[in-house]
This record gives sequence, structure tokens and C-alpha cells, in this order.
Amino acid sequence: MSATAHDAAPPIAIRAEGLRKRYQLGEHRSLQQTVASLLRRRATTVTFEALAGVDLTCHRGEAIGLVGINGSGKSTLLQILAGMIVPTGGEMRVWGRVLPLLAVGQGFHPELTGRENVTLFASSLGFPPKTVAERMDAVMEFAELESHIDTPTKRFSSGMISRLSFAVGIIFPADIYVFDEVLAVVDGEFQARCLEEIKGLHAAGRTVIFVSHNRNQVAEVCERVFWLEAGVVREHGPTADVLDQYEREHGRASAERPRARRRFRGPRPSRSSPR
Amino acid sequence: MQERATLESPVAAPLVWPAERVIRPTKRRLRLRDFVANAPVTRVLTARDLKVKYKQSLFGPLWLVFQPLALLAGFLVAFQGLAGVDTGGLPYVVFALVGLSVWSFFQAAMTIGTASLISSANLVRYTPCPRLAFPLAAVIASLPAFGVTATGAVVATTVTGHITIKVLLLPLVLIWLVLLTLAVVAILSSLAVRYRDINSALPFLLQVGVFLAPIGYPLAEVSSTARALLGLNPLTGVMEGARWMVLSGYQPDIEPIVISLAATALLVVAGWRLFSRRETTMADEI
Repeated sequence: MSATAHDAAPPIAIRAEGLRKRYQLGEHRSLQQTVASLLRRRATTVTFEALAGVDLTCHRGEAIGLVGINGSGKSTLLQILAGMIVPTGGEMRVWGRVLPLLAVGQGFHPELTGRENVTLFASSLGFPPKTVAERMDAVMEFAELESHIDTPTKRFSSGMISRLSFAVGIIFPADIYVFDEVLAVVDGEFQARCLEEIKGLHAAGRTVIFVSHNRNQVAEVCERVFWLEAGVVREHGPTADVLDQYEREHGRASAERPRARRRFRGPRPSRSSPR
Repeated sequence: MQERATLESPVAAPLVWPAERVIRPTKRRLRLRDFVANAPVTRVLTARDLKVKYKQSLFGPLWLVFQPLALLAGFLVAFQGLAGVDTGGLPYVVFALVGLSVWSFFQAAMTIGTASLISSANLVRYTPCPRLAFPLAAVIASLPAFGVTATGAVVATTVTGHITIKVLLLPLVLIWLVLLTLAVVAILSSLAVRYRDINSALPFLLQVGVFLAPIGYPLAEVSSTARALLGLNPLTGVMEGARWMVLSGYQPDIEPIVISLAATALLVVAGWRLFSRRETTMADEI
């Protein structure tokens, strides 16, 4: 596929070269099993390559989509990008601050208030207290939670919690914004607002990495798409081209059924389908 | 339709955080200077640990007073009433409170510290939050436990006229205790991510610990074999040191103090090495 669509390419934001991540299959070993395997001298463990050599380049200011069936390595790639996990091979270089929204409401402590949770979540994403204080009003406004912000989040509805974490993932200043399938959990109206905001970030020249199983959303946000399959980049290029190819193989991921159907797909179908 | 236009060619914005990050396979990525860089997160986590502990609690921070008082009452019955230990002319309550200051802190830090990573699993999994901040925050959030009991100990010692000027050196003992506790908590919390056995073992280890450290009885009161064994507990040395700083005329055992100082240094180095090693795989395993 085409390499870079830009003639005068802006500086690079993310570059991955031969990125690999190997996992051990099955349960993590308990103390008992560890001792047993030490006695038996090195039990063989089955491993699985979530990423099997990913090459990817993303320029500053680009909006990149990631598609692929579940288990193709999208989330692993994003976890490495955000610094949660360490790869087992290859290299990734990142220029600028990454703001990852990989799950909604996940860092929240139910006993803490909305405000305290925003502070906790934003701090754990690496934002200094000054930035947190500055952006708090904007976060409350975006989440429409001005009146509830000092209530413990255990009294929040799940929608309120998602709105609050979305607000953090969108309002805080960063260079690379990452959204991993997070739009699927909020209602239509808020989803539309988030999409607008994400497009706004892109329009303002920020880099956006967007994962969704919803074709319309990917098409609306992204200029280029990377299609991951079994831990490698199968195709990449302009959004419409790659999405068309992806759908020829996997069927249309409709807006009505964002992901339920394709979730537990078995071994991937043969690659004989026409390109 | 008009939104499409904005997608065409946005001008790349200048970097908010103009730095390059290189991510490579590595066994260790922690640097000692990260302690400074992570101070803001540690502070927020400490505040969370303090707040969460007393939310929806009737007595709130008063529990900091109840817990050592309950242990003290138990000691009074068991060691003074039943066993009739001799504290070398010091009032028993004064003697026991000094040991209890060390123990209350250690116990509090162990209880929240060992589970600190597991109980924040979602932050570990979904944010790049520095992992060391969790045990560190748990240890800092336990400092009030030391503060309250130690204040009680110093007041009781002063009232009964057994205080010495050396009490001004007590902060040194606190630093020693904090380093020792932090090392142990860092080791156990990182191991607990993989081996949940640690969580099951902890409550009962802490229960046994009340008797295997000379909190409620003086070392002089036990047999020489038992004394040698107790001396291997790094907390024994800290307690001896604390009593020497606070109680006038107290003759500490030097041996446990030396052992404990050496053990603290060893545990700090080992803890740093283990934690920085385990830290890279925590999000995978938790």
C-alpha cells in the first residue's frame, strides 16, 4: 500500500519498528507451580505473540484509525504507546505527550468524589496539579456534572462516569490523543459530541489515534487507517481504501451492531478474497 | 459535510511536551530521579489513601487512637498482669507506648501497602501511573499512625518524668523506620501482583508480629536464645533505638540495632532492584 500520503510530511509523532509483545498463555503461575517448575527444571510454557513485528509511522497532526478483529493486537499496541507495558522486541519512538483513554471510568475510586477522581485520574496520566486545577472547570462543563462534582462517584450512573472520564481524555492538553473503543459505551447524543471534540482536536493539529469497530466513526475521524491482523499490520493507507478491503473480508461493521457479532470469531478466514 | 474540510490538512500543532520517548524491551526502566518527578502523583495517591480510609466512618481519624489503645490494653493484661514483666523501673504504659508507635506505623503501612497495587489494578492497567507511587503513598499515608502514638508516648514519658533530651533525635529513628517499611512494602506489594498468597499470609503474619517484636515486653525479660532470634527481626532494632531516644536511663541492646541497620540497607537495595524489575510487567500480570 501507499507509504505516506503527504508530500511535505510534518514531523513524526509515532514510529514503531518491528514491535513485538509476547505473552505467556494460560494462568499466571502460582507460587506452588513456580516451585514445582523449579524442581522439574524449566517447564515449557506456551507463548502467544500479541504483536508480531508491527511497523507503523504516524506524523504529527494526523488522525490514524486502527481496525482489526478482537485479539489482533490493537490494545496491546496502544498500551505500549502509552507506557503501561514494555514490548518484548522492536522499538517505538514517541514525540510529545500521550493522553490515553483506553477504558472508561476505570481508574475511578467509588468512595472519592468526581472532583477527587478527576484529580487522581489526571495525575496518574502524568498531569501536574497546576494543569489539573486549570482544566477542572472545563472538565465539569464538558461532562455536564457541575452539580454532582463533589459527590462520591459510587452514586454516579455509569453514563456520568463515562462522561467524566471522556472529559479528562479530551480536555487535558496533550500531543497524541488515544481512544481505544471507548465511544461504544456512551449514549448517542454524548457520542456525537465526543466525535465532534475528537475531530476538533485533529483540526487543531493534534495527533489522534482512534480505535473503533464502527466504520462510520472511523471514516469520520481518521485520514489513514492501519489494519492489524494477528499482531502485524495487514494493510495501511487512506481510510476508505483500507476500510473497504477490511469489510470485504470481515463484512460491514454496522453502526447498529458495533461489535457484538464479530467478537468471538474463530480462526480467521482464508486470505483468498480478492483485493 | 463542512467538517470534512477541516480533516483535509490540519497544520501540525507545536508540541505541548517537546520530548522524545524511546520504548524498547527492557528489564528495568525506573530511575532514582523518578522519585522527584513522581511527587505530584504520590501526593494525590496519599490523599486518596487517607480519605478512603475514613470515608463513611463514624469515628474517622479517632481510629488512630483506638487501635494502639486497644493493643495497649491487651498488653497490660497479658504482659504486665499475667506475665508480670519487669520494665526496669519504667512505668509499663510508657515503655509499651514507644514500641507501639513503631508497630502502629508498620502495621498500618503493611496493611494498605501490600495491597496497594492490587487494589489500584485499574490505574495500573489503564494508566502509565508510576507504579512506585502506590506503595510509597501507602507508607506516607500511614505516618499519622506513628505521629499519634509517638505523641502519646512522648507526652506520657514527659508526664512521668522519664524523658531525655535525646528525644530530639527521634526523627532519625523515623527515617530509619520509614526506609525499612518502604522497602518491605515495595517488595511485598510487587510480589503480591503475581502471588496473591502474600495477601492471605499478611493478616496472620501481622498477628504473630505483635509477639515476635519486643513491643510489649523488654528484651531483657526473654531467654538468650529468644533474644537472639528476636534480634533478627529488623523491627526489634528500631524499637530499641526508639526507646533509647525517648526513655531516660534505658539501656538498649546494641546487637539488634546493628542487625536492623544492616538489614534496612540490604532491604532498601533489594527492594529497589526487585521493584524496578517487577514494575515493567505489572500491567501485564495484575
